[in-house]
Parts: sequence; structure tokens; C-alpha cells
Amino acid sequence: MKVKSKVISIVSAALLLMGTAACSNDTASTDATKAKSSKGPVTFTYFGADPVPTWNNMQDEVGKEITKRTGVTLKASYQVGNDDKVGLIASSGQYPDLISPKGSAAKMVDAGAMVDLKPLIEKYAPNIKKLIGNNWGRLKYSNEDPKVYFIPTYDAVGQKQFDAGGGFELQHAAVKEAGYPQIKTLQDYENVIKQYVKKHPTVDGKPTVGMSLIGSDWHFLITVTNNATGATGKPDEGEYSIDPKTHKATFHSRLPEEKEYFKWLNHMNDIGLLDSQSFVQTYDQYLAKVASGRVVGLADQSWSYGSAENTLKGAGKDELTYGHYPVTLNDKYKRHDFQSIGFNAGWGIGITKNCKDPIRAIKFLDFLASDEGQILNYWGIKDKQYKVDNGKRVIPADVQEQKTKNNAEFTKKTGIGMYNISMRYGDGMKDSTGNYYTTNFPENVVKNYSKETKEVLSHYNAKTWKDLFPSEKEFPVLPWGAAWSINASSNTEYGAIFQKAEDTAKSYVTKAILAKPADFDKEWDNYLKALDAIGVKKMEAEYTKLVKARVELWSSK
Amino acid sequence: MKTLPLEVSKPMVVKTKKSVWSKILSQKYLILMSFPFVIWVFVFSYIPIWGWTMAFQNFKPGLSFSQQEWVGLQNFKELFLDHDFYLVMRNTLAMSIMELVAGFLCPIVLAVLLHELKNKYFKRTVQTISYLPHFVSWVVVSGIVIQMLSTDGGVVNQLLMNLHVINKPIEFMGKENWFWSIVTTADVWKEVGWNTIIYLAAIAGIDPQLYEAAKVDGASRFRQIWHITIPGIRTTITILLILSIGNLINIGFEKQMLLGNPLVQSHSNVIQLYALNYGIGLGRYSFGTAVGIFNSVVSIILLFSANRIFKKTTGESVM
Repeated sequence: MKVKSKVISIVSAALLLMGTAACSNDTASTDATKAKSSKGPVTFTYFGADPVPTWNNMQDEVGKEITKRTGVTLKASYQVGNDDKVGLIASSGQYPDLISPKGSAAKMVDAGAMVDLKPLIEKYAPNIKKLIGNNWGRLKYSNEDPKVYFIPTYDAVGQKQFDAGGGFELQHAAVKEAGYPQIKTLQDYENVIKQYVKKHPTVDGKPTVGMSLIGSDWHFLITVTNNATGATGKPDEGEYSIDPKTHKATFHSRLPEEKEYFKWLNHMNDIGLLDSQSFVQTYDQYLAKVASGRVVGLADQSWSYGSAENTLKGAGKDELTYGHYPVTLNDKYKRHDFQSIGFNAGWGIGITKNCKDPIRAIKFLDFLASDEGQILNYWGIKDKQYKVDNGKRVIPADVQEQKTKNNAEFTKKTGIGMYNISMRYGDGMKDSTGNYYTTNFPENVVKNYSKETKEVLSHYNAKTWKDLFPSEKEFPVLPWGAAWSINASSNTEYGAIFQKAEDTAKSYVTKAILAKPADFDKEWDNYLKALDAIGVKKMEAEYTKLVKARVELWSSK
Repeated sequence: MKTLPLEVSKPMVVKTKKSVWSKILSQKYLILMSFPFVIWVFVFSYIPIWGWTMAFQNFKPGLSFSQQEWVGLQNFKELFLDHDFYLVMRNTLAMSIMELVAGFLCPIVLAVLLHELKNKYFKRTVQTISYLPHFVSWVVVSGIVIQMLSTDGGVVNQLLMNLHVINKPIEFMGKENWFWSIVTTADVWKEVGWNTIIYLAAIAGIDPQLYEAAKVDGASRFRQIWHITIPGIRTTITILLILSIGNLINIGFEKQMLLGNPLVQSHSNVIQLYALNYGIGLGRYSFGTAVGIFNSVVSIILLFSANRIFKKTTGESVM
């Protein structure tokens, strides 16, 4: 009996000791900078809110190289479907070591799950520090909680756009037949369509469509209301228009100048140039219509109709693909498509309290942010996926062919572009050797244009579509960045009003566009009344506060 | 049928405790066998009711139960004060009653007609073809419906044009007042064959001698249907009707979401869609739960009153 009780007491003492040891470990890791860091191979768990279907457990070539250099292996899991996985992670307390929660960041921060990264970056991450530069203010979480919880990964530093993807689109054939006129206002745009439809009432036996929109689902925002903003000379701020001086936000589709745009759509519908299916068709039906080549004009973004355009290209109908024109309501307005938003921090990757070795984690992220890490991620492995000719990085033709032909397979095998999980430079930025960091550069844009596209552009003395638009140099950088990235919490009264305002706009603006021209003003008044009834002013006031807070935060150091 | 078990149970009540135990002992295997299902029901149907507490809180994920802020009936107040809620209720009830009537009568009629068919192969073929749409998802069905009713080469419009019924294509999907009918028709098309199966099974259980006897008495085909087939499946009809009345408010949202568009929004928004868009979609879990509770309470009331009415009038009921 005695022996037995002795054994029990020893065991329980040992258990107690282990318990205290575990506890002291915990307290040590909360003060991240003081924790000891390991050297050997280590595995970090990672959760990403955006799925990466080509993820290969770091068994791809770039992944193996990263593990070789850093000793780190990532065990990644991703969001599947629409469920709120980040919310679950936040409430369960079982945080991964690294997390990229996208728009749900607040859930992690509210749960107290994130580690303040600023001291770690200052001490251990020179490359990230260099990339941040004087943008520290933009990395802060909020005015109330000015810590840095996330390293922005959704925007690249210095990223430049080389081509236009928005504006108003017209088929090359229509522009050619019209004799390459100046296309600056809605009237010019309408004339080109009108002439072409008159001349070619049918395409392959089916009626020609003047202009088609997709207003039945969320594309309503892209093809209907956003264009009202673009055509009236304002940058795209999501559902708001923000006064550059007072920072007052207005729900943009209720502005009087935008009414004029919708009135024009109403007129297009009246004369039969607007597709009568615009607000009824599904996205797939819209794409099918565009791919049939019988839609003369679009008011969409190339990422939205791109797959349909590719079908046209594949069928050799390059003359029926689209060009982008800087169309405005009248010549008083100037398109703001390229107004710079500066570095759009916000969404990104963070280290959680559960991470045993935050120093190692930040060093890992710092490696990815180094020139070496970025080139590995963007270009692959030297002499395998790229070569250096006379100091210039080039992709061999056979590699390029694999890359374009079967991109998913190529990415899975090589891992190129799959490690966008730290800060990095964007398109158009050059490293110390004078090479571009990314594989996208201006020369490539023109190279990928079809013969027809080049011909149309040559008549406007332009190299790319972007050249037709006012350049970013004409506008100041927006101090609040991209307004659509300001996270307004949705589970509040504000969120409910906002949702209602969107639904109201969808329903009433559509009705106004499809009304008889004589009834347009009446329908428009109904719309304004409905917005007032749901409390749009209250919502705008709330959002104005957020914009002001953002400006204050981002201008801080 | 009803009186028999009552008589058996009566003496049991009078008897002492011992005999209850002996009864349990004698049925121990049956009781053991029912255990997994009782646990299943408990785990999946009763424990989740705990989540109803969310409706009375300002629920925030990540906080423990004791840290949640209690707001009383705030969420319900918000729901009942929302003007849209009444519009949504109107749409829900209108569409579900239309679906109840159409979706209830059509399968019975189809089942009776199929039963009357003499050619076995033709019957099988019709049956198979009619229930196949059940396995097609609403995403596909809505695509078919929208394409068929389209003004741009839609079959329905072309047919009507060629028959000179109309001289200009009609924008079916853009007409608010037609939306309910379109949804109901699409639903009947999709589900009629599937819902027929249970009635066909019930009809198969009718004693063929009854038909023979009726024939000898000189009953016509219609008389046979009216006096033998319909009464033969009356119990099935009643039970299914009571259950579907209980589900009146649980209309689902796929059809309305997929077939709807901004033009018909005022007629397409239903309660589940409302809960999705204004509750879960916005992360307002408490509000969504409040809508869910409202739903369940209405369902229970409907179910019990339907059950009671049928019990009184026809003597048949589910409970």
C-alpha cells in the first residue's frame, strides 16, 4: 500500500510540474519579442480565407526551396465555400500559427487572438520594414487600437496598372465602321452603336444587341451603378461618393448627376438599344450572348466578361472583341479610373497568440519579402523556370508555353505565384539589378494584343487602352485609400440600412431605367423617397465617420 | 384500430410497480434498439434549441456564453417594426399557399391517372420521366425556366408569336404580378412526379377485390376512382396535407433567389431569403435566430391547428 501511494504522489507531482511548465511557457510566448527562437526545421499551421486550389503542401519546387532556406514548412488550410470559418476559428480558440482572415479580421482581433507585429518587424524583419517605408500609419488596426496585427498581402507595394479594364466597351468592328471617331461622351458612344446596329440588324441570324448589362445579381454594382460614378467623373468608392474636401460620404446613386446617367440608360432602353434582358438574364446567359459576338457595347470590367471575350478570340473573331473607352456623361467630366489610392493596406497575414515561435514566423515572412524570396515566388528557380541573359531575367519559351497552356498544372508543379503571403513589390517595380520584380510588365501588355486591337489603338495614337484615359498624375492620391476596403461592421444597424439601400437601389433604379421616358422623373422621386424612408442619411453619417477615422489613422505615423 | 391499444394499456396502469419493471425487462432489447435513435433526436433536434438563446442576446462569435450581452426582446422588436417584414410575410404565405394547393392536387391527380393506365411500360416511362426533374438542382431548373421565358429566343415567346397570340415578345421574368405563378409552375413541374410516388404506393395497397366487386356492381371508371381509389388513399392525403400545412412558412429560398431579379424584388423576397440577407449574411446571428424562432412558432401553431381540425372533421391525424 505504501509503495502504491508513493507512486501516486510522485506521478501527481510530476503532473503538477508539467502543468506549471506548460503555464510558464504560455506566459513567455505572449511577450513575443522575448521568446526564444528555434533553429531547426519547424512546421507552422496557416489558414487562408481565400482558397488556393493549387496548394501542394509545399511539395512544389518553389515550396521545397523555401523550406530549404528557412526550415519552415507550412501546413495550410483554406476557406471552403461561404461559411464563416474565421468566426469559428476565433470562437474555438484553436488558432493556427498564421492566419489571413481577409474581411473577417475584426473577429480575430476582437477575440484577442492576434500578436502585435510592430516590435517583431522592427527587430527581426528588415525586408518587411523596408517595404512598409513610411506607411506605418496605414498598417495600424484602428485609432482605438493602433497596433499592427496584419502584414498587408492583398496589395503589392508600388503596383501599377498597365492597361485599362473598365470604362465603356465597344466592339472593334463598330468603331472601325464608324471611322474611328472621337469617343469621349455618352453621345459619341451611343452614335457608334446606333450606326452599327442600323447597318447590321442581325449577327448570324440573331438580332444585334446595342448594349447589354447584367443587372439581375451583384453584377448590378459593376455594370449599372459603378458606371454612373465613372461617367460622372468620380473614382470608384464602392457604393459611396466621398467629398475630397469635407470627406462627407454620399450614397452615390442618389446624386443628381448620376440621375442624368440613368436617364440616358432610360433613353437607350426607349430607342431599343439597351438589351431588354439586361435586368433579367443570368450572368451565364449574358456571357453566352457576349460570346456570340452580337453585343456591340458593354459597360463592364474585362475580368467580368473576359471568359466570353476569350471564346471570341478562340473562334478567330478578333474584330468582335472589345476596346475600352473613357466615356463620360458630357465633356465637363473627366474619368478618374486611374486615380491612385496609394498603398492599400488592410487585409493581410498575421501571427496568432497560439504561435509557439513568433520570431521564427516573422523571419519566415521576412524571407518571402526579401528580393530573393520575391523572385522565387514570382519567377521560380533560376535556370529552371527562368534564365538570366545579359543581366535580364527571361522566361524560356517552353516554360512560358506550359505556363499559359495549363496554368493550374504549372502552378501546382512549380509553386510560382502561390506564396503571396507576405509583403511584396507590385507590377512595374524594379529590383537592384534593374529587372522587374513581377513577370507582368508594360511590354507584355502590348505583346498580348491582337492585330485588330493594335490597329484600333493606332488610330487613336495610343499604345494601350490606358493611354486613352486621364493619367494618374492628373489626380492627387486618395488619403483614405480605397473606400471599399474600409471595413464597416455589418452586424449593426448601419449594416442593415446599407443592405436595404443596396436592395432599394437595385429595385428602384431598375424600374426607373425601364420606365417610359415621361415617367422617369416620377420613378426617380420614388427612389429618393424610398431611400429617405430607410434612413440613408443616418447611414451616410455613420460612414462619413469611418472615412474620417481612416484618414486620421492613415495620415498618422 | 384506435381502441385496441387503449384496452391493453388500461390494466397496466392499475398494476403495481413491479409489473412495469417486468414489462421493461421483457422489452429490454426493443428499448436498447431505440436508444441510438433517441440519442440522435436529442443531439440533433433538442440540443440545437439551446442556440435559441442567441435571439435574446447581442451575439458575438468568439465570446463565451457568460460574456454575451443580453438584450431581451430587442431583436423581435426590430423584426416586427421592419416594414419589409410584412411584405416578406405576404410573399411567403402567398407563394406557399399556391404551392400547397397546386403541389398537393397535381400529384394526386397524376397518381390516380397513372393508376388507371393499363399499359405497364407506358406507365413506368411516364413515371420515370415525371420524377426525373426532382433530381435536377434549382440552379439548373431556374436557368431552364429563365431561358425558356426569355424574350431573346425563348421557346414560350416564340411559340406564342408563331401562333399569333402576341405580336411582341413578353418579358415574363420582369412582371411582378406573374412571379408567384412562375415559381409555382416551376415547382410543380419539378416535384410532381416525385410526390406521386407515395400516392402510387398507397393506391397499390388497395385490395383489388374492391375494384372487382365495384365492376360487378356496374361502376364506371370514374365511380371506381371516386368511391374506391380516393377513399383508399384518404389517410395518406390527410397526413401529407397536415404535414405540409405545418411547413407552410418553411418555403425555402432557392427558387426565389435564383428566379428573382431586381424587377420583381417586391414579390420574390421570402422569409428565409430575408433571414439570409438581413441576418446571417450581415453577421447578425441574433436577428437571424429571431426570424428562425418566429418561423418555428408559426409552424408549430399551424401544424397543431391543422391537426386538430382534421381530427375533429375526419377523425384522422398525425398525433
